[in-house]
Amino acid sequence: MELLVSLVTIINAGANALGSFFLSPIALLPGWISINIISAVLGVLLLLIFKYTSNQKTISRIRDDIKANMLAIKLFKGSISVAFKSQRKIFFASFKLLFHSIVPMLVMILPVSFILSQMGMWYQARPVQLNDDPIIVKMKLNDGLEVWPEVTLQTGQAIQNIIGPVRVLSKKEIYWKIKPIQNGYNSLIFKVGTESIKKQLATGDGFMRLSNKRPGQNIADIFLYPLEKPIPRDSIVHSIIIDYPSRDSRMYGTNWWLIYFFIASMMFALIFKPFLKVRI
Amino acid sequence: MIMKKINRREFIKKSIITATTVVTGMSTGFSCTKKKKLPGAKGKRVIVIGFDGMDPGLCENLMAEGRLPNLMKLRKQGGYRILGTSNPPQSPVAWANFINGAGPGSHGIFDFIHRDPERQVAPFFAAAETVAGQGYLEFGDHKIQLDFWPFNHKPSKTILKRQGVPFWDYLDQAGIESTFYNLPSNYPPSPSKYGNHQCLAGMGTPDLLGTYGTFQHFAENGPMKTKSTGGGMESRIIFNEDTSEPLMLEGPNNTLLNEPKPTLIEFLVHRDKKAQAAVIEIENQTLVLKKGGWSKWVNLDYTLSAPAVMPDKQIKGTCRFYLQEVSPNFRLYVTPINTNPRDPAIQLTEPPEFSKKMSEKLGLFYTTGFQEDHKALSKEVFTEDEYIEQADYVLLERVNLLNYALENYDDGLLFFYFSSTDLQAHMLWWDSEAEHPTRSRTEAKKYFSHLKKIYSHMDKIVGDLLKSHGENSHIIVMSDHGFSNFKRQFNLNSWLRDNGYIGPSDTTSILSDADWTATRAYGLGMNGLYLNLRKRERYGIVDPGQEREKLLEELTAKLEAVRDIDGREVIRKVHRADKIYSGQALQYAPDLIVGYSRDFRASWETCLGGITDKVIYDNNSAWSADHCMDASEVPGVLFSNRPLAEPDPSLEDLAPSILKEFGLKIPATMTGKNIFNEDHS
Repeated sequence: MELLVSLVTIINAGANALGSFFLSPIALLPGWISINIISAVLGVLLLLIFKYTSNQKTISRIRDDIKANMLAIKLFKGSISVAFKSQRKIFFASFKLLFHSIVPMLVMILPVSFILSQMGMWYQARPVQLNDDPIIVKMKLNDGLEVWPEVTLQTGQAIQNIIGPVRVLSKKEIYWKIKPIQNGYNSLIFKVGTESIKKQLATGDGFMRLSNKRPGQNIADIFLYPLEKPIPRDSIVHSIIIDYPSRDSRMYGTNWWLIYFFIASMMFALIFKPFLKVRI
Repeated sequence: MIMKKINRREFIKKSIITATTVVTGMSTGFSCTKKKKLPGAKGKRVIVIGFDGMDPGLCENLMAEGRLPNLMKLRKQGGYRILGTSNPPQSPVAWANFINGAGPGSHGIFDFIHRDPERQVAPFFAAAETVAGQGYLEFGDHKIQLDFWPFNHKPSKTILKRQGVPFWDYLDQAGIESTFYNLPSNYPPSPSKYGNHQCLAGMGTPDLLGTYGTFQHFAENGPMKTKSTGGGMESRIIFNEDTSEPLMLEGPNNTLLNEPKPTLIEFLVHRDKKAQAAVIEIENQTLVLKKGGWSKWVNLDYTLSAPAVMPDKQIKGTCRFYLQEVSPNFRLYVTPINTNPRDPAIQLTEPPEFSKKMSEKLGLFYTTGFQEDHKALSKEVFTEDEYIEQADYVLLERVNLLNYALENYDDGLLFFYFSSTDLQAHMLWWDSEAEHPTRSRTEAKKYFSHLKKIYSHMDKIVGDLLKSHGENSHIIVMSDHGFSNFKRQFNLNSWLRDNGYIGPSDTTSILSDADWTATRAYGLGMNGLYLNLRKRERYGIVDPGQEREKLLEELTAKLEAVRDIDGREVIRKVHRADKIYSGQALQYAPDLIVGYSRDFRASWETCLGGITDKVIYDNNSAWSADHCMDASEVPGVLFSNRPLAEPDPSLEDLAPSILKEFGLKIPATMTGKNIFNEDHS
């Protein structure tokens, strides 16, 4: 597990570097433009990957078979046996198509997941704005904890600590309510016993790359929240979560962006399919 | 049919156009086109600010002290008058007078509470009535209503009881836009026939429990079993270490059950005594509050379980939490569960989507009619300072809403209502050296001075309005009535019993043990006195002819002669309804309207027919000021930035005057007159 954590952390570092370069225009563009551009580019890119990782000849043949059988159904409307036979062939051909999609899917699944993690950092939540209500920060401590540590939050000049630390002993959680007073990326520095742990806070209007969570050693969390390094294994802190506000849009807002991205990238792929001569 | 072939280029072109249309449509939120404005509305702007209960006496004093510079400016610029209020001077009556441009005989609202004479004194709310649904099918524990053929079940609905034609209907018909924010006596919001009228309902709008506002309170010293205390519910919170046992936030009744039960939302509280703060977990939302802190509005999703074959019904509410104390006695207040304006379960606005539009811009806000939680103060759940804090938040929301209203106002009529001058006055007004019912003299002065600050705040609002719209708009500032101390209460029914009008002599309530064969008159509501009239009341005994006449004269003379122990006049004037009311909506009118002198009001018990041993006694409630006196004792105010022609205007005059401002004729149903100089524009 430790090896896997290290591996994903290294990949995250690379993905972050690439993401910060390629996705940086998101900060400058209106959300509806950036999500459509990304959907178009990725739709075409994934289409090309599909083209070169799949057996286009076989897929082409299966597609032709399907067409032929559909034509047979149309021509021999009166013959139940032909109709059933053709339908059976179409059914099996569809399975074959699915089978031939496995290799490209396997090739694409990891890069696409990393891309989605990178996109999530822009669209899943919006940064805190100076006129927002104070937001909640939650620190989760590890289960093995026996003695409750002394915990303080150093906010610096850019952030105001409104409430906290508020300890929930039964859940091993500590809460703060904070309010940023300066735009930009600022650090929350937590002193937990002898440890010092940082969490980035993004404040500003528009789009900023941010992470709701600084993960611990949970592999799924590390994969989903790649922006900040996971909290070391020997720490008493499990994770730190900032309750960023949701982004309100059905195209590029919280949770909606993912649905829109899938639909839009498929649409763009379908539009460009004839030009790129891809059979899917 | 011939299918037209399209080539690839054409297909791509069309796809791009379609995609662009979709994208543009989505990014603009599928914004609807505005209705075409009709010629009558062009350019004319009238803005009416309604300060409920703004008192002329206090206004004049503060103007003299220079603390209301903007109202003073308005007075100099156009005019200021004492505005005659309704008889009786109760908010639902007064605002209905304003709405119809005529007296109670036109709209049929004579008091907060009416009675059904056919069911002998059965009381009901005067302004709105909820009519039970008809027909349903039973599915085990549930019942369902199907409103289509062949079932044609009728769901329950709330009906606005105000009769007559509201003056905005004439504007609506003439194509002049009007928008009303929180106008009382207009729930459910009256519909707009031509689409030129929109409004947000005000006083009378219930919370999700169907009441005028029921707070919920959780305390370590609260009752073991949840107790309803008239306006609130109090429960005990029990902590295991520092986490509470599950608590229940009560919501609307599940009317899908054969025997409706309240829906509940479970929540947990974790407290940190050291930090004097608490964490509240409710419906996947986490709130962190320190002692004395308010939460933002919290979304609540109440589930009304339906029969297994049907999906459950969701009702969306919203509330705020207030952490009063962490230790030693943990106390947590929860506001009444307001209807969520984003997805309202009841109609809050006309058109219905208006509330969603407001909420998109403003977020969540109070939607109940009574927003300042005076009941929490009366029940001693709030201290005065806590009440002020809550009421000031209401005012802050109101100001935000006013800014929204002005941003979205082009022309036509804009009406905006403020409740702070009324509900804060009920609890904080005390302009006397006499003992306050619940406070020391120093405290009474302190809180009255807060009310004066509220007046100054209102003045500032008027000042901002004059700056932004004073040049191009006719601005009217008005109130529906004024205010007076409420030091002594008069139990009308006790007086009637002691004087032999209610029998038997040991009656304790006209609703429970009155002998109608021995009762000739009774009181109900704040100012109403009814005769037990034969052929009108179910068990009536007073003949409608001479006996009635004699009884009315006798009661009037005796009541006007009532004196308090110190010799003060208790009742300023008793009015005969048949002399002061006219119109088509007189069905529920009382026979006499008892107009109390300043300092006096009907006792709390009188309103619902209760009878006490004493007739006149001290008011011992934090609700220490009122306006349900005689109309002459508590008039309102009128300011205008255009000259006022009428020396003694009254509430009924405003609607016809506004119609005149827009060049419309005054309808024959209105008894009011135009109070502005005709040639000012």
